[in-house]
Amino acid sequence: MIDLDPGDDLELLRQTARSFALEELVPRLRDAEADRAVSASVRAAFAQIGLAGLELPESLGGAELGPLARAFVNEELGAGDAGAALALDPLGPALYPLLELGGEPALVEYGLPLLEEEGARAVLVCDDDASLEVVGDRLSGWVPWVPADRPDLVVVLTRDGALVLREGFESEVLRGAGLRAAGASALRFDAVPVAAQWRDTAAAARARGRARLYAASLLLGVLRHGAEFSRDYAQQRVAFGRPIAHHQGLAFLITDMHMAVEGARLLIHEAAWRAESAHPFEDAAASAWVETVSASVLVGPACVQILGGHGFMQDYPMEKAMREARALGLWLGGADAAREDAGRALCAGPPPVALSAGGIL
Amino acid sequence: MDFSIDAKLRDRLEVERAWGRERVRPAGLEADRQGSPLAQDHPYFQDFVARGEGRTRWHGPGSKGEVPPPGVVVRALLVSEELAYWDRGVIVASPGPGLPEPNVLALGTEEQKERFLGPFVALDRPRWACFAMTEPSAGSDAAAICTTARKDGDHWILNGAKCFIGNASRADWILVQATLDPSKGRDAQRSFFVEKGTPGLGGFKIEKKMGLKAYESTSFSLVDCRVPASNLLGGEARYERRAGFKTAMRTFNAGRPVIAANAVGIGRAALDEALAFARNADRLGDPRIRDRIEALARRLRMARLCCLRAGWLADHGKPNIVEASMSKALGATVAEEATSLGMELLGAVGARGDHLIEKLYRDAKAMDIVEGTGQIQRVIMARQLVKLPRS
Repeated sequence: MIDLDPGDDLELLRQTARSFALEELVPRLRDAEADRAVSASVRAAFAQIGLAGLELPESLGGAELGPLARAFVNEELGAGDAGAALALDPLGPALYPLLELGGEPALVEYGLPLLEEEGARAVLVCDDDASLEVVGDRLSGWVPWVPADRPDLVVVLTRDGALVLREGFESEVLRGAGLRAAGASALRFDAVPVAAQWRDTAAAARARGRARLYAASLLLGVLRHGAEFSRDYAQQRVAFGRPIAHHQGLAFLITDMHMAVEGARLLIHEAAWRAESAHPFEDAAASAWVETVSASVLVGPACVQILGGHGFMQDYPMEKAMREARALGLWLGGADAAREDAGRALCAGPPPVALSAGGIL
Repeated sequence: MDFSIDAKLRDRLEVERAWGRERVRPAGLEADRQGSPLAQDHPYFQDFVARGEGRTRWHGPGSKGEVPPPGVVVRALLVSEELAYWDRGVIVASPGPGLPEPNVLALGTEEQKERFLGPFVALDRPRWACFAMTEPSAGSDAAAICTTARKDGDHWILNGAKCFIGNASRADWILVQATLDPSKGRDAQRSFFVEKGTPGLGGFKIEKKMGLKAYESTSFSLVDCRVPASNLLGGEARYERRAGFKTAMRTFNAGRPVIAANAVGIGRAALDEALAFARNADRLGDPRIRDRIEALARRLRMARLCCLRAGWLADHGKPNIVEASMSKALGATVAEEATSLGMELLGAVGARGDHLIEKLYRDAKAMDIVEGTGQIQRVIMARQLVKLPRS
């Protein structure tokens, strides 16, 4: 029966991630952005609290926690510094195609080596519209942006499978609109050798759903931080004789931002719970991702707006939140592909529309 | 964390779904066509009572009502959503002790419970009770009501006017909110039982509404209306503890998620009808249509989850002021969006005025008005989130 209490374990995990974000990420967020990397001390602190292997199978030394744990942790890390959170996660959402399609052998072969090399990164490319061309065991094409400088491994997720690229691709380092602590580059593939390839449409859909939840929860953290920071500011800043939060125009904007964040979180948690409970979750994950990106379109610019001129300046973190929110929303195929996935699934069956899967809400 | 429902609730929802399809929606359409509320002797109400509904949770002297099962609010919200899917107006029209019952159970004296809830224990016929707060000049700002109560010996004398009160003309009794002194705001408010036929209670006018026609929204007046001192909810002693206004607002606080759940039900109905129409018209191949249907389903799901969160907090005795207002603001908005999109997909068919979606479009608007408009919900939330002053 419905129970929205996360329970002791998830709560402890959340508090651990929150403390780390507040103590390690927030004080250094401009440094990490300038350095395009997190410092060795932050990496060490992250390793110490045991979040590095959150979703890795226990047999491979991980904690083997599920999508709910990932959602809770990512929200907290995203609220601290989303770019740094990516930099600290060598596999990121590239983990999911490896696990869902290749299984543990693929993880051992392609994933684990990255965990042993400081600063190594894998990136996930969602080729939803098949713009990359595979001929035989070679891949060609161009990816305009991934949030990493010179990634070590590229995992391409297609509609019907996934493939792995280990070498032969060119990385062009970019300035990046946001998430600079993670780096940014464009990737060019010119008949790059495919190291491994799997075909399984259902598994690819699951991997895509989990990747969307990963991104959505990270984005949620950015939005929560923006909404809460600007709300606090609005209660301190006085204009026309009272805190600006007490002018109804801003008071209503602040409530709308709060609603956007809370609503997105509920969708993310419900979709993550479905995934964790082995219920169909792919469409719910797509919806959660779309809703979170939609929320970012409101919350990102609004948190700058509330701070006025200060919001535009880099003395405050709101301009960073706005850039990061927009950049994150463009990741992994963006909201459009997810909207199309959820819309097609919805329109495929006759009414009544199930806002819930069979037997669950 | 768990987002599932148990087998018992699933079964209950199936039963309500069948009842809704077979009885609730036809009754709602009938009322909408005739443009007036269902009559008191309508067979629907007889069958509703025969079904075991419309009874009080109070079971006699010493009883505080049935011990609520775990998750009672969440369960009630989902049942309410399902029934509103079929017709929200008929649900409000249904007999029973209704909106004031929780207040009477929580705050009424034993004598009051026996006297006013007793007839609802074993119903001999459909009976109604109702709660009267809204006035022509005091809607969402419930603290501003002007109906006065003046003590005169062992009676209270009520004077004022109420409006938009559901089921008032057919109610056995009305729990009337009045003030001892309008200049003293909420602390001076009291609740009084006013029984049908009490001299001075009259001027009933059933309003003509845009939608939700199955139930009556009624205006009435209180002119030197004398009620016994024993009709003061909770008795004199209770109000020495300054609980007058909070008594009434307790009902509202619990009510917002219910309205939100009703709105989600209306929105779901509109979505289903719109989807069926679009399929028959072979329009689902258009990605613009699919995108908009997806957006609605997504936002309806989010609105439902917000309702359930507010209800879950209530079930666990946790504060839910922000969540209750959020669910109300969101649910009502999404219901309007759903019915409006439905109308757009219908095109000129929607303008004919004989399609269910057109009725739902009219019905849904009320959900952003009753129990505090969306703007008022934001004011309530802002008081919590940024300490927005009351004045």
